[in-house]
Amino acid sequence: MSENNEHEHSNDDGHGHDGGHHVNYFKIYVVLVVLFLISVAGPEVGEMTGLRWITLITAFGIAVVKANLVIQNFMHLRWEKNLMKWVLATSLILMFLMVAGISPDVMNHEGNNWENVAAKAAVERGVDGEAEEETMVVAAPVGFTPQGAFQTVCATCHGTAGDGNGPAGAALDPPPANFTDAAFWADRDKQRIMTVIQDGAAAVGGSSLMAPFGALYTDEQVSELADYVISFAPDGAAPGGE
Amino acid sequence: MAHAKPLATLRSATGIPTGRLAVWWVLASEVVIFGGLLGVYLMHRIGHPEWADAAAHTQTWIGALNTFVLLTSSFTAVLAHQAAEKGNGKEAAKFLCFTILGAMTFLVVKSFEWYNEISHGYTITANTFWSFYYTAAGLHALHVIAGAIIMGVVAFDAFRGRELHRVELIGIYWHFVDVVWIFLFPLLYIAK
Repeated sequence: MSENNEHEHSNDDGHGHDGGHHVNYFKIYVVLVVLFLISVAGPEVGEMTGLRWITLITAFGIAVVKANLVIQNFMHLRWEKNLMKWVLATSLILMFLMVAGISPDVMNHEGNNWENVAAKAAVERGVDGEAEEETMVVAAPVGFTPQGAFQTVCATCHGTAGDGNGPAGAALDPPPANFTDAAFWADRDKQRIMTVIQDGAAAVGGSSLMAPFGALYTDEQVSELADYVISFAPDGAAPGGE
Repeated sequence: MAHAKPLATLRSATGIPTGRLAVWWVLASEVVIFGGLLGVYLMHRIGHPEWADAAAHTQTWIGALNTFVLLTSSFTAVLAHQAAEKGNGKEAAKFLCFTILGAMTFLVVKSFEWYNEISHGYTITANTFWSFYYTAAGLHALHVIAGAIIMGVVAFDAFRGRELHRVELIGIYWHFVDVVWIFLFPLLYIAK
């Protein structure tokens, strides 16, 4: 079954002597792991020094070296017949030809007498949408908690204690609602709080300064957030039930 | 035993054993499949600077963990080959089982990673970056699954001392799967 037709090395000290292939597999493995660790550390160094090319070299340069080590020593390509190397090389060349042929159209968004409007719009949207996306990530973070959402989103105006004294609230007219005021709760129930969070205060005839935040949260999360808002109400003033 | 085999397995105009020739042919076509996919990803990534925002959300340490797992499984696959060359089928089967264990670990880590991302809204339809992310890593994961299944069959035979040459063949395929990940890792996790 095994083909021992190429005894290039006659010495056998117990290290990976396969069909004449003398390879210290463990040594190759250790080198691969070390290269891998360098590629992971690359972006850190690149960031510290502000040199992006360090990241690119440690990422792709090392990938090429690692791939070559695996292909030559683990797949034993360097002992394979030349025919097979040519077949693989042909594949690789055809692949590069295809990519090179397509790339001018994909990487440029305009040229002589043509313009890729959709691609330009996508880049534009992406760059403009950056700020918007950042808020989304902050506002609807990993592992929603009503406290967390209130402190990141609501507290800016309504204050961390829910008393309407948030840093951005001082300039607003009418001022932000004070959830610790018993009078505020006299005519409000949970359903109304949820509506205001989702659709804005204007939806119930209030100030349009209280913007709608429904896009940030699921119904379940809005319900939890409303419960949290109600928890600021003084004893006896909290609305009961839904 | 030989008389039961198809003629093609006994002839070799190229001097390369038929099974190994077949595996190399498969890999030559895989080069175009994965190479084309990654090449197209790369040119889009360069043409669309806004992808950097989406790419920033991939979790480097999970990718790194899986890279280490696959490198190690490649090492055990080549040890299986070494054992098979010495005619030690039981030893070869043992190392193949370690390799399958590596494949399983890889898939478990990947499921955890994808579950996390999908539950945060980063789905295959979120934008073109995530489309490529799931297509490339998904196609690769299918190769991991296929490799693990075939390795199971080969290990079963090898343990009984049968068809030991196949240990090398599945090994070559497995190293290729490792090589694909070696390129996917920097593309999706490092140089983002």
